[in-house]
Amino acid sequence: MSVSVSAAAPLRVVIAEDAVLLREGLSRLLGDAGLEVAGAAGDAERLLQLVGVLRPDVVLADIRMPPTQTTEGLQAARQIRQRWPGTAVVVLSQYVETEQLFDLLADDPRGVGYVLKERVADVAQFTSAIRRVAAGESVIDPEVVARLVARPRRDSPLQTLTEREQEVLALMAEGRSNQAIAGQLWMSPKTVETHVGSIFSKLGLAPDAGDHRRVLAVLAFLRQ
Amino acid sequence: MSHRRRGVLIAGALAAVTCQIVVTYVPGPPQPLIGTITQSLVGLSFLAAGIAAWVRWPASRLGLLFTITGYLWLLPNLGHLPYALPFTIGNLAAPLYEAALAHLALAWPTGRLRSRFEVGVVVANYTWNIGQSFISMFFWNPQTNCGPSCPANLLMIHGSQAAENALGVISIPVGLALTVTVLALIVRHWQTARGWTRRAMVPLLWIAPAICALSAVQTVAQNTSLPLFTSTTAGNILYGYLPLILLAGPALFVAGTLLARTARGAVGTAIVDLEPGAPPGQLRDTLARALGDSTLQLAFREPDGSGYLDTAGRPVDPDRPEPGRIVTPLPGRDGAAPADTVLVHDGGLEHEPQLVRLTAAAASMALEHARLQAEVQAQLEQVRASRARIVEAGDAARRRIERDLHDGAQQRLVTLALALGMARSQVAGSDPDLAALLEGATKEAREAIAELRELARGIHPAVLTETGLPGAIQALVERSPVATTVSAVPACRFPAPIEATAYFVVSEALANVAKHAPAATAQVAVRQSAERIVVEITDDGPGGARPDSGSGLRGLADRVASVGGALQIDSAIGGGTRLRAEIPCQ
Repeated sequence: MSVSVSAAAPLRVVIAEDAVLLREGLSRLLGDAGLEVAGAAGDAERLLQLVGVLRPDVVLADIRMPPTQTTEGLQAARQIRQRWPGTAVVVLSQYVETEQLFDLLADDPRGVGYVLKERVADVAQFTSAIRRVAAGESVIDPEVVARLVARPRRDSPLQTLTEREQEVLALMAEGRSNQAIAGQLWMSPKTVETHVGSIFSKLGLAPDAGDHRRVLAVLAFLRQ
Repeated sequence: MSHRRRGVLIAGALAAVTCQIVVTYVPGPPQPLIGTITQSLVGLSFLAAGIAAWVRWPASRLGLLFTITGYLWLLPNLGHLPYALPFTIGNLAAPLYEAALAHLALAWPTGRLRSRFEVGVVVANYTWNIGQSFISMFFWNPQTNCGPSCPANLLMIHGSQAAENALGVISIPVGLALTVTVLALIVRHWQTARGWTRRAMVPLLWIAPAICALSAVQTVAQNTSLPLFTSTTAGNILYGYLPLILLAGPALFVAGTLLARTARGAVGTAIVDLEPGAPPGQLRDTLARALGDSTLQLAFREPDGSGYLDTAGRPVDPDRPEPGRIVTPLPGRDGAAPADTVLVHDGGLEHEPQLVRLTAAAASMALEHARLQAEVQAQLEQVRASRARIVEAGDAARRRIERDLHDGAQQRLVTLALALGMARSQVAGSDPDLAALLEGATKEAREAIAELRELARGIHPAVLTETGLPGAIQALVERSPVATTVSAVPACRFPAPIEATAYFVVSEALANVAKHAPAATAQVAVRQSAERIVVEITDDGPGGARPDSGSGLRGLADRVASVGGALQIDSAIGGGTRLRAEIPCQ
């Protein structure tokens, strides 16, 4: 992982979005938030060209783009992660589908984000997600996680988790690190670690999964 | 047959019977009883067969031939009368029936002779029999054989036993030669005959040699004075018992009738047994078998009207059939001439117009049935195709609406939410009232986006188009308010209507479980076999779901049927519900 974040230089972002108004809106939003928009593309092909030339820190890509309006953004994201590991990718989706999510995360969940488009309405949350992905974390939209956690289950070890453990589990599924979980839930990192250990043993997951692999393990468990 | 002809025939038969009675009871030279019985039986049975044949086959000469043979058989009885004229005529006519029999056999089964040569043979036979009889009478003195009580032979020129003997020596080879020729011709007829005629020839093949043998033995017996033939017993056998073989003649007629009757029944049965919509080739085979005419052809007019082709693809000319073949047009739908379809069959069937008509009607009915069935099938195909097109058009419309929502309203709402978000961050701190207002507006926009998203999803799930069944079914299961597990879903892609159908089956089934058995758990399984995918949704709810309850399941069944699949619901009360859709995936 060679994502480097310098405090001095702003994050360089390339945007890929076929709707012109939204693309311009995103440019302004990111610019106002102190990020540098290095380029903008209207389709996946142009996006790959731009990334090859500009080598941005982060790419922000709509999933559905011309020409077929299906999953061009997703394919482009995977290619970018493979060819330019220094570039993180946030995929914007209109619908949150775990199938797409797993497609995206399967290779390596680090430096990858999958968020609902409407998150742009909360500037702080949105830019924070971009920064986290640029820092090498995984960002999974809370909506997906909430839906997976809320699924009705019968005879599942999930039912044995305490309320606190469930909160920790959801944050793990969103891609948060122990540090971030501790900050969010007002706990000491040590307590978080205890909860994580307990969760893993209750769910029967391998305890050695590091931060970046555990997001996949937890999501896969929730999805079963 | 006209009334006059029938009257003549019946009068003739009555005359013959009267004559026979008179001959039997008028005192004369003594007759062995068996001879009288045989004489009467054979003669009258030929007359009866003649009348019956005339009635049954009015267009054929067979009736006439049977009748003539009967008269010629009875005529020699006049020889038993004690008067010179009938005695002479009776003895003169004694061998004539043999020529008539040969004529009948050669003309069987159509009543017509087949060639000039055969006409010659028949004429020669009559001529020889009459001629030989005349010449023999010239030299026969009855007094030498049957004594002084015999009437006079009016034709006798010079009674000479030596001349008679000489004539006998010539008679044997000539008579035998004629007999052998007739036999050979009969065998040849059988060999060259096909179809119906060949079948009709079979009984004759047995009868003719027997009668010829009898005739030969009688010829030899009459013309030689071997001691073997001179005893009374030998006479009784030769002229009393053996001629009963001749009853086989009228039996021929009965056999011919039976053949037609059997065939009529067989045609009727065959047409009932014929599977509906059988191809014309099969129809022909069935009819040919039932009719007993292996040569039967079923020929259809070519669409361009240029000619006819039979079921084997051979050209057929209905105006110029091959010799010995007859063309019968099938009754057409609109009586159009020329007929669209013709039967070409063996000439031997010409005397069974009823049988041919029946066959033609049966063929016509079967073809009409097949045509109607094909029409219904074609219409059904059209309806099926149009139903599939309607469903597909519906799917396409749903996809388009979803895309329009995505590209239009949803994008605009996202842009709006973005603008609101930016506005909010700009006024943050400076104008709390405006910030609160913007906060509310953003929330509204976000909810609108969420609602629109669910609406668009419900109209057509983009994930189905994008990733196929596994992702789409997974999404359904994740959203289901019922605890649901999925077993393997085939990862390969299927045609869009198939995927959409499978998807809606799962969607509707899970919605039903959520509605009627929210506490249950459900399993979704999608399996793929060679030609179909089987979608199965089971739950452990209370069961009792009925296919006709509510429009949901019925609509689903229609949807599955639109792609040629079938929906099955097992839902015993208390036993959970299993919904199973089999969808062809080719």
